[in-house]
Amino acid sequence: MSQLSDGQAEVVQGGVQSRPASGMRLPRLYLAGVVSVLGGLLLWEVVSRFLVANALFLAAPSQIFSAILALAKSGELWRHMSISAIEFALGYAIASVLGVMIGFAMAESATMKRALQPWVSGLYATPTIALAPLFILWLGIGIWSKVLVVIFLVLFPVTINTEAGLRTTSERLIEMLRSFGASPRQIFFKVSLPSAVPFILAGLKLGIGRGLIGVVVAELFGSRAGLGRLIAQSADAFNMPELFAGVIVLAVAGIMLTAGFGWLENRLVPWTKD
Amino acid sequence: MARKLQVSHLGKTFGELRALQDINLAVERGEFIALVGPSGCGKTTFLRIVAGLEPASSGEVTLDGRAVRSPGADRGFVFQSDNLLPWRTVFANAIIGREVAGHVGPAERQRTMELLKLVGLEGFEHYHPRQLSGGMRQRVNLARALAIDPQILLMDEPFSSLDAQTREIMQTELMRIWETGRKTVLFVTHQIDEAVFLADRVFVFARRPGRLRENVAIELPRPRALAIKRTAEFVRYVDHIWRLIEDDVRASVIEEKV
Repeated sequence: MSQLSDGQAEVVQGGVQSRPASGMRLPRLYLAGVVSVLGGLLLWEVVSRFLVANALFLAAPSQIFSAILALAKSGELWRHMSISAIEFALGYAIASVLGVMIGFAMAESATMKRALQPWVSGLYATPTIALAPLFILWLGIGIWSKVLVVIFLVLFPVTINTEAGLRTTSERLIEMLRSFGASPRQIFFKVSLPSAVPFILAGLKLGIGRGLIGVVVAELFGSRAGLGRLIAQSADAFNMPELFAGVIVLAVAGIMLTAGFGWLENRLVPWTKD
Repeated sequence: MARKLQVSHLGKTFGELRALQDINLAVERGEFIALVGPSGCGKTTFLRIVAGLEPASSGEVTLDGRAVRSPGADRGFVFQSDNLLPWRTVFANAIIGREVAGHVGPAERQRTMELLKLVGLEGFEHYHPRQLSGGMRQRVNLARALAIDPQILLMDEPFSSLDAQTREIMQTELMRIWETGRKTVLFVTHQIDEAVFLADRVFVFARRPGRLRENVAIELPRPRALAIKRTAEFVRYVDHIWRLIEDDVRASVIEEKV
C-alpha cells in the first residue's frame, strides 16, 4: 500500500479511497437504530395491550397498522393523502420561489433589506398558524386557505437563509475574483450564488417540517379532506387507531422528505459535508 | 532593459496610520523581486496596491507605462490562503481568470491543462479542493494566476501556511516553473532565506512608517539548488538582511505582546 500510494502521497485520506470500507460497515451503523425502534414498538404494544388495555387511551402499533391497511383498502387514505400532498406541494413551491427571490432582493439592496427585515423577522417569529381560521374565512374551506398557511410558514426561513447565505459569502473568495477584474455580476454568479446554495437548501429543509405542520393544523380548523381532516374525524369518533394512522402517515412523509433532501444536499453541495 | 514596473512617491494611509511612505522603486522585465520586512511594514499593502485591490493615497504605480488603478488581467495574484472555490474542480478553479476575461476556447483549455501539468497536478484536474493537501492547493493557486498569462506575478506569502519541508519543495518547484517562462515576479515573504533563495533582488522594508530601507542584489548563480542555502555566500546575504530588520522585528514582537 505504501509503495502504491507514493505518487499520490499528497492526496488527503478520506476521499474516494475510503468509501468502500465505510460501505461495508453500514449494517452495523444502523443496527443500534433498528434495535431501538423495534424495541420501542414492542414496548408500546405490550403497554397498550396489557397495561392500558383500552384503545381509547392508547392504540397498539398492531391496531394502528391494521387501521392504516383498512384505510388504504377503502381508498380513504389516498383521498386524504393526495389533498394534503397537493396543499403542501403548492404552498411549498410558491414559498420556495418567493423566499429565494425576496432573499436575493434583501441581499442586493440595503434599502430593500431595511424595508423588509422587520416584516420578515416579525412574521417568522409569529405563530401565523393561529391565523388559519381567518384564512379559511377569506379563502373558503378548500385547499387555498391551507396553501396560504403553508406559504406563511415556509417563506420566512427560506428568505432569511437565502439572505444570510448571500451576505456571508467569504470576502477572500470575492477578492480572489476581483483580482482578475471581475464585474459585480460575475462575482454574484460565480461566487455569491454558489456559496449561498447550502444556506438556501438548509432553509428549504427547515420549511419541510413547518409546512407539514401547517397543512395539518389548517385542516383541523376546517376542511373537507386531508390528513388533518382524517385526524379530526377520528378524534370526534374516538377512533384512536385511525387518529394514530393519520399521524404515522404524516411522520413517514416528513421523514422521507427530509431524507430525500439530505440526499439532494449530498449531490448538490458535497463540499459542505466534510 | 525594459522597465516593467515603476513606483514613484507611493504613499498609503489608513486613517491616522501611515502604512506606506514615499516608496520609489523600479523593476525590470523578467526580474524576480522578493519583499521582506517585519510584520506591519506594509509589504502586503504594497502588493495589494500594485494588484489594484487597494487604492494608493498618494504617488503612482505604472505597469508597462500605464497607471494602475484597478485589478486587471495583466497581473496575476497568488494569495496567502489558496482561496479556491470548493464547488469547482482543480481545472475549473485554474481557468476561472480566463472565464472572467470572457473567453474560454480550446486554446485556453489547452493552456490551462499544460499549466496544471507544469505545476505538477497532471491527473488531478477533476479533483475537488477538499481532496487536496495544502501544498497541492497552493499549486492550483499558482496555476490559476499563471493561466491568464499575466505580465507580472504578485505573490503574497504563498507558502507561509505550509510545513517547513513542503515549503522547501515548493520553493524549488517555483524556481523550476519560473525558469520556464521568466515572468516578472513580486514575492512577499517574512522568511529571509526564502527571499534570498528565490530572488534576483530583495527589497527590505522598514516599519512605522512602512518604507523601503534597502535594495539588496542577490548575485547567486542560477539555477539554484536547495544545497545553496548552506553556502557561506548565502548565509552572508541572510545575515545582512537580518541585521537590517532585526531592531524592527524586536520592536514589533514587543508590541504584539502588549
